[in-house]
Amino acid sequence: MSAWRRLKYLLPSYRRSEERDMQEELESLAAIAGRRELGNLTLAAENARGVWGWAWLEGIVADVRYALRVLARQPSFTAVAVVSLALAIGANAAIFSLMDAVLWRDLPVREPERLVLLERYSLSYLAYSRFAENAGSAMDGVFAWYSNASRRLDSGGGAQRGTVELVSGSYFPTLGLRTQLGRGILPEDDLRGQPAQVALLSHAYWQRAFGGDRGVVGRPIWVERARFTVIGVAPPEFFGLEVGSVPDVWIPLSTFASVFSGPNWLDHSNNNFLYVAGRLKPGVSIPQAEAALTPIAIQIDIERNGPPATEARRRELYNSKVSLRPLSKGLSWLRQRFSKPLRVVFLMVAVGLLLACVNVMGLEFARAGKRQRELAIRMAIGASRWRITRQLVTESAIVAAASGALGLAMFRPAANALASLIGIGGGQTARLILPLDGTMLWFVAGVSMAAVLVSGLLPAWRATRRDAPGGLPQQSRSMTAPPQRRLAGRMAVSVQIALSLVLVSATCLFAFSLQQLRRFDSGVRRERLLVVDVDSNDGGYVDASLVALDARVRDRLAAVPGVADVSFSQVGIYSGRNSGDAIEADGYQSHIPRDHDALLDQVGPRFFTTLGARLMAGRDFEENDSASAPKVAIVSQEFARHFFAGRNPVGLSFSTYDKQLYRVIGVTEDVRHYSREKPDRWFYLCELQAQKRTSFFSTRFVLRARSKRVVNAADLRAAVLAEDKTLRIDEVATADQLFDRTVDEDRLIETLAWGFGVLALILAAVGLYGLLSYEVTRRTGEIGIRMAVGAQKGDIMSLVLREVALVAGIGFAVGAAGAAALARTVEGLVFGIQAGDPRVELAAAAILAVVVISAAWLPARRAALTDPMSALRNE
Amino acid sequence: MDLLQGTLDMLVLRTLVFAPLHGYGIAKEIRSHSNEALGIEFGSLYPALKRLELKGLIACKWETSEHNRRAKYYHLTSAGRKQLMREHSKWAEFVNAVSLVMGPNPDEV
Repeated sequence: MSAWRRLKYLLPSYRRSEERDMQEELESLAAIAGRRELGNLTLAAENARGVWGWAWLEGIVADVRYALRVLARQPSFTAVAVVSLALAIGANAAIFSLMDAVLWRDLPVREPERLVLLERYSLSYLAYSRFAENAGSAMDGVFAWYSNASRRLDSGGGAQRGTVELVSGSYFPTLGLRTQLGRGILPEDDLRGQPAQVALLSHAYWQRAFGGDRGVVGRPIWVERARFTVIGVAPPEFFGLEVGSVPDVWIPLSTFASVFSGPNWLDHSNNNFLYVAGRLKPGVSIPQAEAALTPIAIQIDIERNGPPATEARRRELYNSKVSLRPLSKGLSWLRQRFSKPLRVVFLMVAVGLLLACVNVMGLEFARAGKRQRELAIRMAIGASRWRITRQLVTESAIVAAASGALGLAMFRPAANALASLIGIGGGQTARLILPLDGTMLWFVAGVSMAAVLVSGLLPAWRATRRDAPGGLPQQSRSMTAPPQRRLAGRMAVSVQIALSLVLVSATCLFAFSLQQLRRFDSGVRRERLLVVDVDSNDGGYVDASLVALDARVRDRLAAVPGVADVSFSQVGIYSGRNSGDAIEADGYQSHIPRDHDALLDQVGPRFFTTLGARLMAGRDFEENDSASAPKVAIVSQEFARHFFAGRNPVGLSFSTYDKQLYRVIGVTEDVRHYSREKPDRWFYLCELQAQKRTSFFSTRFVLRARSKRVVNAADLRAAVLAEDKTLRIDEVATADQLFDRTVDEDRLIETLAWGFGVLALILAAVGLYGLLSYEVTRRTGEIGIRMAVGAQKGDIMSLVLREVALVAGIGFAVGAAGAAALARTVEGLVFGIQAGDPRVELAAAAILAVVVISAAWLPARRAALTDPMSALRNE
Repeated sequence: MDLLQGTLDMLVLRTLVFAPLHGYGIAKEIRSHSNEALGIEFGSLYPALKRLELKGLIACKWETSEHNRRAKYYHLTSAGRKQLMREHSKWAEFVNAVSLVMGPNPDEV
């Protein structure tokens, strides 16, 4: 009751009417009794108002209104402070969100900490089935998925490329995922004998292809040529189990044959195409589960390869061990690849925020100087130091709140822009879910609060020192500020210059590194090299007809004007694709299965000639390496070193997993697909000999142009389509473009480093300019006197600039140390340059020096142009 | 004479039992009923009135006084009446207890 009445006083209109009523009452009483009789009526009224219980709030409201007026009177200060803080806060929020998505966030499923992945990353369908049947003692369910297959998707509005994830029936029940619409895929949908053609849509695909239609359940959708029925929609936050990708559609594993032509991998016990994972029973530890699963793994091995025939095999089996690893945060090689870059970026962004805070702090110092008189008067008439500090901090808080709000508004575009810099290979960018959720709001609120404390509290506290600002009597503009005040402002500028130097030198370092990376020799001559990706999936080409098609398209492309050389491949260069096989070579022995792995590409004749890759020995594939000729292979240097112990392998042989024997005819220089990667063991087979493909990949044609700009992309497309209208050209790109995508993490850092380097420079310039302008203004009188007694313009300028030199010098010294520290943390992220390279530091210092001098020039000049007479008259 | 905490509220309620009074009237009433012993500052009385009003123990109305002046007259609400009864018995107990401890004036023993 009483609380309700009290709340009513929050209504301004109610409070006003009460106030009027009270005044009226007091006046009427005064008329009855006489003022003297009643004593101090103002105090009585004030105390009565206190009864309403909102005095504290009124105080805050008054503070806020006053602060808003003050800020509105200084629009340039307010704008600079709000915009610089907002930029820093928005960037911090975006990076934080990205790091949360890539590094920290748990999967949005039931009890993610109990999920584990079976290592030896991919496993066969047979292995999955056996684990699922027999792992009951340690696991509450085992599931498998085949991830992110690129397939044709048609929701009724025309076919498009989409990503399809095939999952076992146990996948959704074990994860415990609740769909937002319909149901998930269940074990009864995933029966080998009678696969149910059902599909679960991702939230994003549902929005994109069906416009978020809630009546989507029951509608048909085509994957390749097979018709599926939509049974549900996954929740928005669920992206599968692989961070950085979101499948469009999930379908049962048992429908494999309906969406992939060619052999049914489910029948092949050697086709390791599945991820297998499971949920630990409560209380079961990872080592316990590993122990329970190991016998199953041994049985699978025996079922697949027969009982061990040799002692070595027996020992190998005996020592084999299943290993599990936690899957609570999902599977992510983004995490490995981007964890360090993201941390560095976060560090830079945090330095950027600190810089923005210091900048605002410096401006506050200067501003507090201007307000000295106002504050002195307020203190003289009895305002407590606490009261004035509160007022000043309120101003900072309003600036911070505005910056926080603006920062939040910038969050979405900033986060999306950042995410688009995260590449996952093949020219695709990561698809990350970056929600603006409670965590983010707390983060932004926290950062803004911290910004207030850093930027506002210290200046406010200093400004209200009873001794420092000089009470009212000493208020004289001709005097220079008390030394400690000037020291604080100068320190702010020094810190700013130091932080700027750190950021600018990081920018220089990364820019230099990226430039080196772009020049990196990956074993391919990239100039005038083009890649054309042709998908023949719609034409019904298989095996021999597909190989023949590749050769015919190659001939047509070779006839395009300006094309010097053409060949083709499946993996090709910088494609992000991968294909491998297990190798047995003469004289090579190892018990570790992984040691036998090698990477494989099936290529056309003259492939290495076209790429411009050097052959270290032997010859390239030729037209007559055909089906009837002996089976031959070309291997990389690293392959030769590994399997043939450095002997010249030309003329030697090796066999692949299917026991096919190949004779080595050439050794090529290592071709690297990522700039930082170590040379890998590659072997290349000639597609003409195979008469069938080893992968589902589309064909990647490589072309060498005669000279720049003579090959027309439209001509290339026309040539491909002239062969068959159903062929689809997925991509026409230069090798340089493709290579650029392989340096994604470097681009991410470099782009951001540029952004923050420039921001740092602007802030340093603004801060320095603001402080110097203020100093010059308050020293007008002093300068006037100096000029009156004979100082020249040059003397005055050097007077101001000397001050800058001192402040900047300290900043540079501290900044150099900071930059060196930062350089150490980015060791390993930069390429082709030592982190502590003095050239980088010098370049950064030079850039910053130019900015500092330009920022100092204007105020110095203004000081020099002071008219001594008017300056003295102002006294 | 200083008043015990909360006693002022009780006095105000008690004064209003007989008839509604305006703010100054209440102060005068208390003074005269206590034989001028309790001089209530208007400055402390007025916030107390507002406090009691907020608690819903008293209510007020604009009325015209005997001298034809408009003033705000306070009267007890039923909640105020109950509160006064509670306070009164508590007060009686308190006075009783204190006089038991104090006994007669030691000079007279």
